[in-house]
Amino acid sequence: MRTVNRRTWLKRVGAGLAIATSPLPRLAFASPAIDKRFIVVIQRGGMDGLAAVPAPGDPNYERARAGIALPPPGSDGGILKLDTTFGLHPILTEFATLWTEGSLMPIQAACVAYHGRSHFEAQNVLENGSAIPYYLKTGWLNRALAALPSQSGDVGIAIAQTMPVIMRGDSTVTSWYPSTLPQPSSDTIDRIASMYEADPKLEAALRRAREAHDMATDTAGGAQFAGLMTAAGNFLNKPHGPRIAMIESTGWDTHANQSANYGPLDRNLRELNRGVAALKTALGPVWNHTAVLVMTEFGRTVAMNGTQGTDHGTGGAAFLFGGAVKGGRVLADWPGLRPNDLLEGRDLRPTTDLRAVMKGVLAEHIGVPEQHLERVVFPDSADVKSARDLVRTA
Amino acid sequence: MITKDAVVAANRFGFGATPDEITAIANDPHAWVRQQIAPEKKLPAPLAALPSTMDDQMAFFLWIRDYRKELQSRSDDSMKGSVEKSYVKALAPRYQTAVKARFDAAVSTPTPVFERLVHFWSNHFVVSGAKPVAIALPPSFERDAIRPHVTGKFSDMLLAVAKHPAMLIYLDNVRSIGPNSAVAKHPPNERPNFAGISPPRGLNENLAREILELHTVGVNGGYTQADVTSFAKVITGWQVIGPRQLVRFAARWAGIGNDLFYFNERAHEPGPQTVMGKTYAADGVEQGEMVLHDLGRKPSTATFVATKLARHFVADDPPQAVVERLAAVFRDTDGDLGAVTRALVDSPEAWAAPHAKLKQPEEYLISAVRTMRGPALSDRQLAASLNEMGQRVYMSPGPDGWSDQEDFWLSPDGVWKRIEWAQLAGRALSGSVPRPDAYADSVFGETLSAATKTAIGRAESPAQGLALLLTSPEFLRR
Repeated sequence: MRTVNRRTWLKRVGAGLAIATSPLPRLAFASPAIDKRFIVVIQRGGMDGLAAVPAPGDPNYERARAGIALPPPGSDGGILKLDTTFGLHPILTEFATLWTEGSLMPIQAACVAYHGRSHFEAQNVLENGSAIPYYLKTGWLNRALAALPSQSGDVGIAIAQTMPVIMRGDSTVTSWYPSTLPQPSSDTIDRIASMYEADPKLEAALRRAREAHDMATDTAGGAQFAGLMTAAGNFLNKPHGPRIAMIESTGWDTHANQSANYGPLDRNLRELNRGVAALKTALGPVWNHTAVLVMTEFGRTVAMNGTQGTDHGTGGAAFLFGGAVKGGRVLADWPGLRPNDLLEGRDLRPTTDLRAVMKGVLAEHIGVPEQHLERVVFPDSADVKSARDLVRTA
Repeated sequence: MITKDAVVAANRFGFGATPDEITAIANDPHAWVRQQIAPEKKLPAPLAALPSTMDDQMAFFLWIRDYRKELQSRSDDSMKGSVEKSYVKALAPRYQTAVKARFDAAVSTPTPVFERLVHFWSNHFVVSGAKPVAIALPPSFERDAIRPHVTGKFSDMLLAVAKHPAMLIYLDNVRSIGPNSAVAKHPPNERPNFAGISPPRGLNENLAREILELHTVGVNGGYTQADVTSFAKVITGWQVIGPRQLVRFAARWAGIGNDLFYFNERAHEPGPQTVMGKTYAADGVEQGEMVLHDLGRKPSTATFVATKLARHFVADDPPQAVVERLAAVFRDTDGDLGAVTRALVDSPEAWAAPHAKLKQPEEYLISAVRTMRGPALSDRQLAASLNEMGQRVYMSPGPDGWSDQEDFWLSPDGVWKRIEWAQLAGRALSGSVPRPDAYADSVFGETLSAATKTAIGRAESPAQGLALLLTSPEFLRR
């Protein structure tokens, strides 16, 4: 009996102290100021953009992609036609549906500002928002959150075990990842929280984890990409939940056998396709307020290599989709596939800096002020103009 | 009373200590650390029991050969999609055994400071099994190229690393061909090998770039793209006795042991090369050995290595004075890592603030089991625990290794997973540690905070008290 009393007492005192002594602003899940939802998916390894968003309308497509060109639109297992130039990989049926609904905007010949073909440098640039690897320690998505009204400071969640660079920074964000271990008891967590009162970083991390887990009762989708997308959708559809999520997808480094049925690319595209459907279902009506940006660190070589795969390249494809996206068009300044069109004779020439899309979505969809974008979120990017007309204004 | 210095010695420099151990350490914590900075006399038993380098090198290739054979022998589609399952089934036990051996060695060693240095350097010169072809290679790499040199000369370790089959395979140097070499001029008319990979045709800069960027002078160490290309040419022909030769001539190679390095003159780029301002004459394999020897002595290498060591043992953003002190010793001793490490131990900054560094998941688990004498973890339980916490040992995401900074590891999910694990461990340990409050006092002594002491003291059961001890700031940090 005494134990129970002490526990109740601890619970109350612990909760009170946690708020009173916290040096950080109180987590504001209770009153988010924006109703828009934004999800960033990072595909690590370098997705082959010309496989995901092929260009069957380019007269050089078949020749440039000899050995890995996809069957033409209309044929059995052929490319899903989008417009006169572009299509979708036949696996991406859910994307094709979004296109029909006007909610998909594929982006082609895009790249980060770094063209060095190193995975980890390119990923770092993709996430830190500058043109230089390791130039900034924090991530652009985290810095963008700082511009939102103060009562909505903590609206971000990383569906990840460790904190990815894109979400690191001064704006407080939470993280969550599926677990196979049993949940700790609420009483034990109360006691741990009281133990962390003098350690602000542990205190804040535990408080955020707990809030995420209190919300995550229906997110048992597993650690496959589609499961993580379901989890993200479930977090974002909560009235008082986070508004901005970040998810990672790995295994896109397809140096060999990429066109094989059930090969690595095939498998990843299936999972991506499933993930889109899972997310849409989980979001429910909130889908209409949602924009999702899917990006990778670089595209791959246009031509097949000696091992039926593709090597590290430059220009690649990305996707912007969601109920809030003004889709039905491909965002591309198409550089072409003739040998002379290619960067250094091998890569799709990048004509769109991915920051233009990131900036455009943050400005139009989330309402991050232009000045904050230029100075804080993407420093030294004045020459990269925001892409326009990406989302529905209604 | 267990002093602050005893806690720092046992936890920051070591991997945690039982009450008995830390009582012994408390007699002279500095001496206890210092005396472990010496060459190892005998390999720890769990590591000695692991397969040979040759066996590790063969593992992936034998699997892929068998898989392809089986695939070809079936006319139906029953094996489609099963490549990943087959790979995991064939190689996961080997991987889990090696991870557990590394763990057991760290838990049981009488010289945990030495063991921590091995882990540190194995992460500096990382070979990651995240690349499928390298899945089996990190353990033998760590044993052959890292362990013997952690208190020796940096350039000796660098040379051992650059010539080890694991590194040559992991960073693609085995496939790098000098553009003007005999092989490039008269390409052998070879079919793709049984892994479906065609014979290479040209230069691959991967290893050369990473040696400069990640192993020696650092990304701002003053090299250019031209230096990368020249250095890549210098180490063309640095290859490994291949699996096909090993299979074909198994009997003949039987006595060759772990040294599978092979200098292929015919793939080597002829002529002198200039790397970072110095021209190296065409001396075959010695050309590359000379470049590595010089890289290992550069002032920028001294600073790069000193910064990483200070970050690991002092703070995420180490004081400049420590970095400069260690770099000076590195320069003055021609990269004697024993001397550099002793200078680190002699730095008051390393002892000033206990519990300043957040433990990474693997060191967290090692210190838990070492300090608490349990719980016993099976190979699979250990692999699963590490997986839940986001650190699959020997599988760092890239050649830059695991982050040594708190902002990477201290995520809400990261803290949550440790709590989940600690709750399970607390239950498992409750029979053997009936008084967690007394245990906390005896391992953390004067560094135990009032909040932790109170929380553990008021726990409703030994199991909960142990969960609190294992999730206390004192236990999560070192």
